[in-house]
Amino acid sequence: MSHDTHHHHKESFITKYIFSQDHKMIARQYLITAIFMGAIGIALSALFRLKLGWPDDKFPILESILGSDAAPDGLLDSNWYLGLVTLHGTIMVFFVLTGGLSGTFSNLLIPLQVGARDMASGLLNMISYWLFFLSSVLMAASLFIETGPAMAGWTVYPPLSVLAEFQPGSGLGMTLWLLSMTVFIASSLLGGINYIVTILNLRTKGMSMTRLPLTIWAFFITAILGVLSFPVLLSAAVLLLMDRSFGTSFYMSDIVTSSGALDATGGSPILYEHLFWFLGHPEVYIILLPALGMTSEIISTCSRKPIFGYRAMIGSMLAIGFLSFIVWGHHMFLTGMNPFLGGVFTFTTLLIAIPSAVKAFNFITTIWKGNVMMTPAMMFCIGAVSTFISGGVTGIILADSALDISQHDTYFVVGHFHIVMGMTAILGMFAGIYHYFPKLFSKMMNIRMGMAHFWITIVCGYGVFLPMHFLGEGGLPRRYYENTNFPMFDHFLDLNILISIFASVGVLAQVIFFFNFFYSVFRGPKASQNPWNANSLEWTTPVEHVHGNWIGEIPTVYRWPYDYSKPGKEKDFVPQNIPLDDNEEEH
Amino acid sequence: MEIKFIIIITVALFFIALVQLMKIYDLAAKVRGEKSQEKLSRSENLLMANLMLVFMVAFFGFIIWLISKYGSNSGLYQAASAHGKDIDDLLMINWYIILPVFFITNALLFGFSWKYYYREERKALYYPHNNKLEAVWTIVPAIALAFIVIYGLMTWNKIMYNQEKGEVVEVYAYQFGWIVRYSGVDNILGKADYKMVSSSNPLGIITSKTIQDTYVEIDQRVNDIDSILSNNINADGEYLFPEKKVDKLQEEFDRLKRRKYRIEASIDRKDNNSVAYESSNDDIVVQEIHLVKDQPYTFKFRSKDVIHCPWFPHFRAQINAVPGMETSFALTPTITTKEMRANPDVQKHWENINVIHNERKRKIGEPEERVLFDYVLMCNKICGAGHSNMQLKVIVETQEEFNQWIENNGDKKRLTFSGQEVNWSKTKSQASL
Repeated sequence: MSHDTHHHHKESFITKYIFSQDHKMIARQYLITAIFMGAIGIALSALFRLKLGWPDDKFPILESILGSDAAPDGLLDSNWYLGLVTLHGTIMVFFVLTGGLSGTFSNLLIPLQVGARDMASGLLNMISYWLFFLSSVLMAASLFIETGPAMAGWTVYPPLSVLAEFQPGSGLGMTLWLLSMTVFIASSLLGGINYIVTILNLRTKGMSMTRLPLTIWAFFITAILGVLSFPVLLSAAVLLLMDRSFGTSFYMSDIVTSSGALDATGGSPILYEHLFWFLGHPEVYIILLPALGMTSEIISTCSRKPIFGYRAMIGSMLAIGFLSFIVWGHHMFLTGMNPFLGGVFTFTTLLIAIPSAVKAFNFITTIWKGNVMMTPAMMFCIGAVSTFISGGVTGIILADSALDISQHDTYFVVGHFHIVMGMTAILGMFAGIYHYFPKLFSKMMNIRMGMAHFWITIVCGYGVFLPMHFLGEGGLPRRYYENTNFPMFDHFLDLNILISIFASVGVLAQVIFFFNFFYSVFRGPKASQNPWNANSLEWTTPVEHVHGNWIGEIPTVYRWPYDYSKPGKEKDFVPQNIPLDDNEEEH
Repeated sequence: MEIKFIIIITVALFFIALVQLMKIYDLAAKVRGEKSQEKLSRSENLLMANLMLVFMVAFFGFIIWLISKYGSNSGLYQAASAHGKDIDDLLMINWYIILPVFFITNALLFGFSWKYYYREERKALYYPHNNKLEAVWTIVPAIALAFIVIYGLMTWNKIMYNQEKGEVVEVYAYQFGWIVRYSGVDNILGKADYKMVSSSNPLGIITSKTIQDTYVEIDQRVNDIDSILSNNINADGEYLFPEKKVDKLQEEFDRLKRRKYRIEASIDRKDNNSVAYESSNDDIVVQEIHLVKDQPYTFKFRSKDVIHCPWFPHFRAQINAVPGMETSFALTPTITTKEMRANPDVQKHWENINVIHNERKRKIGEPEERVLFDYVLMCNKICGAGHSNMQLKVIVETQEEFNQWIENNGDKKRLTFSGQEVNWSKTKSQASL
């Protein structure tokens, strides 16, 4: 059936809102699921920050939220502390910044920006969302079981994650974690294949690869990274499941428990680390690239200026994507692996700094002599570029195997990756939400609340994560339930309180966003067709969603999407579907 | 219960408040006219642009404050090991490269955002690319990184390859603590195996005696389980306790038998005078690490259960302890504990720590105490509930003090597996001849 006839037919509530195969609806579903998962994820961090900031105080609120097993008398249990840390990491990394970010914006923007009626396979797309939903439910459910969720850190290294004897969370909680992640990976793979096929096959007439918006390039490379690396995590998870449930010993060897030596022999936990980080490092870029792609697009649109170095931006993303597969060992410098390998991984890791520097400089040059409209989206992008730089430079220290000896797994690492990956991606995601809200919900979000949201978020974000670098320089290990066992860390008591205050305020400030978002979905003013005067194709679609995206023909593309403030043009933007004038150079 | 009720009410009120707020917003929007939401006014644009600048100043100020307060003395002082100085020097050079880049690029970012805020009459510069400029900021970072890579790898190779063979000390990690074993006169650790680990032999050291002890222990437990199972069975052949428990006992029973068989097959040489057993004769197991200043050490790490990460922050040394695999790290301590405590910076810092420490003690109603600087070993890889309290005191001292410690702690903390007294400090000096 052709799409032209398709969009006339009336849909039931279930096919329209629940089991929808329309990419715009699936994008909304992803976004709303991710917002709820995000709310859980950051709420968990606020809870364990209470313990870190005020190690001796009792917080009855903890007992009422988490139950008396987790926080008897309002004092957080040390196992549960690790459980909260683990689920915070898992949820933020996978459910918010992988599923939520890629799922929402790849789904929304790929068909709209390449000029397609829908994704290559609407059915796979729908299945992908519902698997994501199922995995989210499983992960959230693990918070409600008696023995607690997985507690071995978001990396769930064996043997800690194998036996419930080592920590209670390695029982049912860990089983749920593995089930959830298995379903999540399936979802991610279905989504990724769909994105790649759509970008390669369904571009409209005239939309050559070098006329694609940088968002699409970012989603494209992200999807390739995901499709190549998630299966490795799946295999790691399956082997872990076998070790846990069927008595194999892929990751286990020479282990003694309270009931004596185990049979397991010949396996190695290091094997798991290799498999995990083979996904784990590309995962960082799976998270970052979509955010940076949207940042490119929004910075260009809101500076009324073409993105500087379009081809260099594509090249640097390709370079980052390729390099991300050969750097995983920098998470493992201190596992006892051959020092020569450590040297190789140091070299490849530091190479990534070059394309990253190119990206940062190109962002800045795009703003230079621009005409910057300070929409909330633009401000979030400026914030994202700032965090990308601030977190990126400390990465140079951690990439150095020799320096890793004194920085590994300290709070320096926590500060570094939260700024470069966590904040950049979250700020990029917020930017995307504010910028594409008119396309997502045909409404406008409130600008003033957006501004307040930005300022509180960036101030609190830096307020939380900058001081952590100094805790790390003082040797404080991460994932410590309390730092008071070592008098040498006592002089950080104040700093930890400061961090916890920033964290609490930052978390509470997200209520502004929550309110703005849901208020605007229902009551926001109606959006105009092209509120930001942008060039790319999604702004040529009608304001109200229609099945098949365009009524009538799909527009043909004649130019790249960054013709802003082009000399000789009356307006400061020229949409992609406007043919070139006679004698007009493309760019 | 009351608290739960209050929370439910608060949440409910919160949502009611949200709905009311929405209504107010609705009305306000109607009064203002909806258009005002879409476009930024010029004054708002300017305000946000100015705030970018204000933020930049506050941001830089915050960092400078942090650096001045914690950067110069983060609590680890100068490195107390030979290689640690190399790491610290490398780190400082990295900072000197990184910090200017950080300040300049952030300043450009916020500065441009401020300077080029939107004015309708202006037009942005159409500037899609400049190959020369792009080449510059590919090549300049590449050169800087080449320097960082080369200098970094030189340091790394120096630390990891040029390790003098030092005195061998084993650190055995378990949930949640450490056991230390000195290799003694021969500088060789006696062989150990996880299958030999038991309450009387926590490190699983192999000697003809420990093998016999292990057999006895295993046989005893096997008999125990056997009698538990056979005594709790009724006439119909049903067990008197839950099936789960029966399964568990039977599993343990089988496992013990397999373990004994494996010890017999792979460890027990049936030859009590074998050389393989002898190197453990002079090994000494203690609960504290004492190191001699300027003496090279090779630490060997094993783990009993999960991955741990021995971390000596003051020596800038750490490496994972992985079950099933031995790892090692060499270091030479260069400053004694006493010297460190006498350092004026350290003294000043610890006076401050004492104030904070005892303030907290008073608050939680524990007796006040005077805390002193000490080197410490801690765990730096998530390992379970007790992860944050896996500490071991490390003392660096002179050879004489070390000898005295070994002598004086002979009865309490000294435990050799040969069962005989070894005059360690004396034989050691003989061995070094």
